[in-house]
Amino acid sequence: MKFATDPKLLEFVKEICPDGLEYRQLHENRVAVRVRVEDLEGLADLFIKFGARLIHATAIDLEMKGFEILHIYDFSKVRERLVIILEAHTERPEVPSIGKVTWQARWAEREMKELLGIEFVGMPDERHQFLPYEWPEPVEGGAQKGSEFIPMNMPITEAYQTLIPIGPYHPGVIEGQTVYVKVEGEDVVAADIKTGFHHRGIMKLIERRGYGRGVFAAEKICGICSGAHGLAYVTCVENLYESEVPDRALYIRTLLAELNRMQSHLLWIGVVADVIGWKTGFMLTWGLRERVMDIIEAITGNRVNYGVWRVGGVSRDVPQELAERARRAVEGLKEECSELLALVADHPVVKSRLIGVGKLSYEQAFDGGAVGPVARGSNWKMDVRADNPPHAIYDPKLISWEVVTDNGCDSYARTIVRVKELLVSAGIVSQCLEHLSKTTGEIRAKPRSIPVGAEAVGLNEAPRGELAYYIRASDRDENLPQGIRIRTPSYRNNAVLPLMLVGCNLADVPVIMGSIDQCLACTDRVEVIGENYRRSMGWEELVAMSRRASRW
Amino acid sequence: MVNEFILLLSMLVVVFVGLFLGVIYSFLLRKISARLQWRVGPLMSVYSDLRPLLGTTRVLQPLYDVMKLFGKETIVPEVSRRRLFLYSPYISLTFAVLAVLFIPFPGAPLLSSTPYSLILASYLLIGAALFSVLGPVASGSPWAAVGVRREAELFLVSELGFVLSIFSVAIARGSLTIWEIANSPPRPILTAVAGALMLAAMLGKLHIKPFDMPEAEAEIVAGPYTEYSGRLLGTYYLARIFILYGLMALFVSLLLPPLSTSIIWLPAYLVSTLVLVFLLALIQVLNPRYRIGNALIWYVKILIPLSILNIVVLVV
Repeated sequence: MKFATDPKLLEFVKEICPDGLEYRQLHENRVAVRVRVEDLEGLADLFIKFGARLIHATAIDLEMKGFEILHIYDFSKVRERLVIILEAHTERPEVPSIGKVTWQARWAEREMKELLGIEFVGMPDERHQFLPYEWPEPVEGGAQKGSEFIPMNMPITEAYQTLIPIGPYHPGVIEGQTVYVKVEGEDVVAADIKTGFHHRGIMKLIERRGYGRGVFAAEKICGICSGAHGLAYVTCVENLYESEVPDRALYIRTLLAELNRMQSHLLWIGVVADVIGWKTGFMLTWGLRERVMDIIEAITGNRVNYGVWRVGGVSRDVPQELAERARRAVEGLKEECSELLALVADHPVVKSRLIGVGKLSYEQAFDGGAVGPVARGSNWKMDVRADNPPHAIYDPKLISWEVVTDNGCDSYARTIVRVKELLVSAGIVSQCLEHLSKTTGEIRAKPRSIPVGAEAVGLNEAPRGELAYYIRASDRDENLPQGIRIRTPSYRNNAVLPLMLVGCNLADVPVIMGSIDQCLACTDRVEVIGENYRRSMGWEELVAMSRRASRW
Repeated sequence: MVNEFILLLSMLVVVFVGLFLGVIYSFLLRKISARLQWRVGPLMSVYSDLRPLLGTTRVLQPLYDVMKLFGKETIVPEVSRRRLFLYSPYISLTFAVLAVLFIPFPGAPLLSSTPYSLILASYLLIGAALFSVLGPVASGSPWAAVGVRREAELFLVSELGFVLSIFSVAIARGSLTIWEIANSPPRPILTAVAGALMLAAMLGKLHIKPFDMPEAEAEIVAGPYTEYSGRLLGTYYLARIFILYGLMALFVSLLLPPLSTSIIWLPAYLVSTLVLVFLLALIQVLNPRYRIGNALIWYVKILIPLSILNIVVLVV
């Protein structure tokens, strides 16, 4: 399948953005517009009023030549699959901030300031994003006691009585993040979030590995949505050149992405059940998840990082009989899911814990830039699979599916959205398997060289929301990219978290934090599946095997 | 003289029997809820040859937990009110053990024949719960403060329900002495109504889900016991084991009358307490945790009016 580009797009873009210096049409309805640095703020204002959504604001380091500021806007509501990349070249690392215009850019600008050293003039929030707040010296406004920093401008005595830090290590939240909540009795009156405990420089790691091998590093960004990262990466790289991917590969990609979504949503439902103190619900949903994992393992040979994504296709075919067997397994699983999840979602105590908790209105979600099930739970019909699909099969003519929304705007709505999405995903999976069990064909196109200076945006709907990759090819090297920028969905949803927390009960804080979804660590286990045997291997055996393999 | 000696001896024996039964009850609570949740529950490693003989279940796990804690270092926070923090676990344990002595065991009336022993026993059980709140207040931790606030709110309503259900039995029997109530003829309707009310009140006292919000680990770490460690925490665990046994024994002696009078009823006594534990485990498994507000509403609007209605019906 070739990915179409609308030829009349440039005229449309020239109409809405007349004062650009240079217009370039990229593959798959992406348009890059070179503008002056001074125009960025005005254009941001204009675009957002026009109905666009800021996907990410970032910058590329061009070494001797300075920086290039990139603002990536999604115009899919206005024109089909249109993404506009505003590029502004600057030699001095000082640019106007668009954080005043849109709340969505604030975290992105804090990140750019930290990673690339770009100063933003008129930045509304100047705190560190990844470094500790108090580094190298306490920030103005925070009280100081020894080397301790206390956020939210509180005096120390007050902080000791009313400030509850949830994290970096806390039994309710497995991930390393700190949420400071100020409580009066049990009511939360102010909240703040500090992330950046996990920054591993993985974007730089992918940059130094080349296009083909980068996918393996990209998959390891997240253990739960590794499939979504792989798909977004290959979509982005395939957009760098005139690509063509075999149909069967696209079906296998869809299959794996949806299986990934199923296991992630089941995991999430279990985590929320655990957070509200219901171990039974936790064990129930994780038991179902194991069966999804078994199907994934049978198809790819792996449970967590599938390792089948390749630029131009996939590396491993799904044989017809395996597809048929997996289809039957998925059918049974679908029935059990719809029965058991109805039990979980209709439990009166679960309802009393979730309904009305963590309110996020449509306006707040839209302004804050929430993505994924959080946005859809606030009645915002926004799904990258429908608006701007990745290189997989999401065409409504070939596969019947729908975007699930709910108008509850609370944690219960987000739960319902995920439960329904799980069943929709199961439907997509069985359709894909049915197709795969009846057809055969190529699964990988021949690799092509990537033109220098190309750039591309790859979008994908991860289980947690929209996942965006931006790749800029190097100006002189065909093998290495100049820069890779990733924006994960939790990045956006975490930024709106304080909005949901204020005004809630302390008992609801972990529920609300859970309702935007978390990531957990991976398991280190491998199972060998052959024709007639099946056995598990422990850690020692794996280490011994890797030693044997690396010996000359 | 001989009678007094026998009484002392039986008291000593019953304290150990109570400890053992309490351990068995809390083990069963853990094991039953684990098996209902597709988990395995307390296990021990046994040589494979001995497994058919011994099994792999560790029945005394709650006792081992306490013993382990007694061997651990005890840390006292700098900001705590030292004296209250250090003494309240022991006072709580003392109250719980004393309460056990006022409740009859099959074949051993103990102190339950003293006048007003029902009031004494319920007072001592409340005292044990009260000191498990007071110690954490002194620890100076914000988690403990939040947990204590929840515990205190829950304590007020669940104790009220508990006392109302106990005294409905006392009014029906016309006596405040446990031994007299335990010797009276059985009345099935009273047992069913007051038993259901007492079981519901016990959920809050024992922190069975949905009423375990004082120890909600996802929100407030370990709740009141966050700063407790080592021997002090072990003492609290021990007090809890005694409270569990005491509540079970009180339930049987008040509501299933002949069972705690004579040693020949011992098998029936054990079976009825095990059924109670099974019911508690079932409720524990079926429910998520309430918010404290919901729990208060449940107690104040449903349980306490029903208990009052029960008393009114009995008096009229």
